[in-house]
Amino acid sequence: MTTTQRLSRVNAINWNRLQDDKDLEVWNRLTSNFWLPEKVPLSNDIQSWNTLTQQEKQLTIRVFTGLTLLDTIQSSVGAPVLMEDARTPHEEAVYTNIAFMESVHARSYSSIFSTLCATRDVDDAFRWSEENPTLQAKSELILERYRSDDPLMRKVASVFLESFLFYSGFYLPMYWSSHAKLTNTADLIRLIIRDEAVHGYYIGYKFQQALAEATPERQQQVKDYAYELLLELYDNEVRYTESLYDEVGLSEDVKKFLHYNANKALMNLGYEPLFPSSVTDVDPTIMAALSPSANENHDFFSGSGSSYVIGKAIATEDDDWAF
Amino acid sequence: METTNLVTKNLAEPKRPATGASEARTLDYHALNAMLNLYGANGELQLDKDREAARQYFLQHVNQNTVFFHSLEEKLDYLMEEGYYEAEMLGQYSFAFIKALFEQAYAYKFRFPSFLGAFKYYTSYTLKTFDGKRYLERYEDRVCMVALTLARGDEGLAKSLVDEVISGRFQPATPTFLNCGKQQRGELVSCFLLRIEDNMESIGRSINSALQLSKRGGGVAFLLTNIREAGAPIKRIENQSSGIIPIMKLLEDAFSYANQLGARQGAGAVYLNAHHPDILRFLDTKRENADEKIRIKTLSLGVTIPDITFELAKRNDDMYLFSPYDVERVYGVPFGDISVTEKYHEMVADARIRKQKINARAFFQTLAELQFESGYPYIMFEDTVNRANPIAGRINMSNLCSEILQVNTPTEYDDDLGYRQMGQDISCNLGSMNIAKVMDAGNIGESVEIAIRGLTAVSEMSNLKSVPSIAEGNAKSRAIGLGQMNLHGYLAREHIYYGSEEGLDFTNLYFYCIAFYAIRASNRLAIEHNDTFAGFADSKYATGEFFDKYVDQEWLPRTEKVRGLFERSNITLPTQQDWQELKASVMAHGLYNRNLQAVPPTGSISYINHSTSSIHPVAARIEIRKEGKLGRVYYPAPFLNEANFDYFQDAYEIGPEKIIDTYAEASKHVDQGLSLTLFFPDTATTRDINKAQIYAWRKGIKTLYYIRLRQSALEGTEIEGCVSCTL
Repeated sequence: MTTTQRLSRVNAINWNRLQDDKDLEVWNRLTSNFWLPEKVPLSNDIQSWNTLTQQEKQLTIRVFTGLTLLDTIQSSVGAPVLMEDARTPHEEAVYTNIAFMESVHARSYSSIFSTLCATRDVDDAFRWSEENPTLQAKSELILERYRSDDPLMRKVASVFLESFLFYSGFYLPMYWSSHAKLTNTADLIRLIIRDEAVHGYYIGYKFQQALAEATPERQQQVKDYAYELLLELYDNEVRYTESLYDEVGLSEDVKKFLHYNANKALMNLGYEPLFPSSVTDVDPTIMAALSPSANENHDFFSGSGSSYVIGKAIATEDDDWAF
Repeated sequence: METTNLVTKNLAEPKRPATGASEARTLDYHALNAMLNLYGANGELQLDKDREAARQYFLQHVNQNTVFFHSLEEKLDYLMEEGYYEAEMLGQYSFAFIKALFEQAYAYKFRFPSFLGAFKYYTSYTLKTFDGKRYLERYEDRVCMVALTLARGDEGLAKSLVDEVISGRFQPATPTFLNCGKQQRGELVSCFLLRIEDNMESIGRSINSALQLSKRGGGVAFLLTNIREAGAPIKRIENQSSGIIPIMKLLEDAFSYANQLGARQGAGAVYLNAHHPDILRFLDTKRENADEKIRIKTLSLGVTIPDITFELAKRNDDMYLFSPYDVERVYGVPFGDISVTEKYHEMVADARIRKQKINARAFFQTLAELQFESGYPYIMFEDTVNRANPIAGRINMSNLCSEILQVNTPTEYDDDLGYRQMGQDISCNLGSMNIAKVMDAGNIGESVEIAIRGLTAVSEMSNLKSVPSIAEGNAKSRAIGLGQMNLHGYLAREHIYYGSEEGLDFTNLYFYCIAFYAIRASNRLAIEHNDTFAGFADSKYATGEFFDKYVDQEWLPRTEKVRGLFERSNITLPTQQDWQELKASVMAHGLYNRNLQAVPPTGSISYINHSTSSIHPVAARIEIRKEGKLGRVYYPAPFLNEANFDYFQDAYEIGPEKIIDTYAEASKHVDQGLSLTLFFPDTATTRDINKAQIYAWRKGIKTLYYIRLRQSALEGTEIEGCVSCTL
């Protein structure tokens, strides 16, 4: 069914003999992007958090719980199965980094919770996530592909998760920060987005490489499966979005954001976009908030130096300024 | 300013350390040097191994690779004929005098006390054959050539300079020490500060200056404060300007282009006022994840912060950022030439000035975050600097090492880039005194005066034609910067803790003496030449106001210990009466140099001179130094022994407050700045850095240089018995 040759035995990895330069490029990018949630002074958002209504708070916690679930899947199931399919030892190494960073992401949401929220509310939200049918449905759709024996579809599912499914959740912190709320939390989410963008790009790239070697029939089949899966995920995602955002009246805008990111996910796989530009016109404040520094959205190959020291950011207090 | 590696290193690679050899004399010098970093059999520091390494370096390497001459005459003739030495310079003296001078130098029997000192000198400073393979000078020769060059035919001064330099009391900065007397040489000065005005001619000239000065091995700082912000109008059409970032990119490229052939990385800095609208974009260029198009990798950044910013942060207010374009139109002078503190509320209220606002505390936090990620920006406390400035005019920037603080004036250009109105830019030549050696000799007034004369000579001999505004500034100001080093070495030797009450007492009084004798020397030069620096009449020296703090109060030791130190050295502190007389003489005859003191960070020259750097505490008792392609070298703190071990606490143990306290004592007596690096463990937070900055500002510190963080080895990964891991 597939011609992908898996790594049959373990050889010592030689980073000076690359089969694919992209592996090193991405490795360097990912390692230099390394960060920990301690870098972000989340506690500065406490005041801002207290200005949210109970409903908004609940929404935010639920959104982050949903994101935690996705990161957990990607870290504990997604990256390891991709590792099995790796074509080069370096690709495998990149997945180990991805797996770890996904754990960091999952950990970050807990940092947000422990800084901002009451434990009871968080526990409620985790219970909600276990019981929410659409959330469970999407994780099941992805896990099904991961458990299958089809390396190409595993990658497709992984790209959809990285480049598409996260964004219904990412929308909210971007929305808050564009309204000058939870800005530090948004900083943290931006770091996650920065990582996910590279992950989606890289897995998509590996997918396209593998796909190019397949027969035309097989290529067509994968494409059909991919669109089929996307539509299935999309239908579910729309319901998930409505269940979360209807109450605050943001569903329509979030859906545009979904369309935009679905197209990006397809592009990462090398496929044509699905949604016309008329339904992908996301609110520009969201788009601007997404971008970490420049106006370009995800320029993730911009340089990163070696002297990176991870500092802990803590705001000064009145006492510090007593002069 | 550091100017190492100007000479290509073609020397044979040293042999690898012989492994497993037990007898010291069979070991090679790198191996011996490395033993410094390992405890001996009884857990003792192996300081003798480093002295042995220095000796072996000569026996195994230097002596074998030095060209031999039968006599000094043969040597000088050969070096002049072959185009190594400047015949014209030596022609100012009789051969008999030159011979006597060399004998004077050799009679001193100079020996390098550390391996790194010798190693550094022979790899980076000494004259080598054109193929780079053999040495043509010993240390004594270099010292004589420097003295002969700077004395310009004055035999008495040449002899005094040899005494001061060979004894280690005075050490000229790298460009001077490296280049003097050589036919093929770079400039004697290597530190430059230039303004950029808000027009295309000035920006274009700056790029040219960056190229010209980099070609000559200089480090250049530029002022960006006057440049209109991104989105400002051009020819009154809105949203046209792209702000300062593209200029930074151009400068960075200019620096790297002109350094392509040199081993030295391009060295440039840019300074921006905290209230410039592009300030956050400016800082973000150092972000790790900045877009390639705006990321600044090699340019150093500096921010000038006025007092008002601290006041706003104290109240947790927003701070307004003002459009330089509008400010210049409203006030008729560039943004950099007005005091933001003074005009702040006026500008806030002025509808003609476009403004934005950011939270002041958030600004400080961003500053600290960037310092974590990149060590930048440097900080200049603008109002502190200008309050302490005795010269008429405004100081709006500093340099690559943040110790040069001088006034400047704008240049106006014609369309063809000719000079319509020549302004004054800044160059600075530096030299540092070894505090321990100066104290030991006791003749502090004489030592300072010789140093001032040597530095003045460098200023007078420099004429930087490629950048006329610098030549103009130098000719009119004759500004120099006398620095100091080995403070920690001296204090530890005398069993005084760095930053202790006694340490602060000494620092205060030592710099008090230096200020007195430096001003007296410059006054003597003014009398001899019957000339003063341009603008003396408008200075606080001319009005006498500068001298108030010395005439109106008595400066005496606060501790017995320090009183004893000065007594033992036979140094009498200048009295109020002495100051009164000096004041009268200065008001009558003026000063020859507009600026006199600046305390640089001193890297390479402090190794050669066997000092601790600047007036900092040591970074480690045994410092690990990475030297080019030759690997790791270890440098023991000068005077370190088992008895004074405890007094050599490193900068991370000492912490920012004591360093700031020490610099605050010195700052009172230094007319320019002092490079001040702050050291933190990696457990520090941005808040710790902010607190240190607030403390520094309150204590009257003028500038802050780098922020350094130390990450210690993970538990379990240390090397058994390694000095640098456990100390």
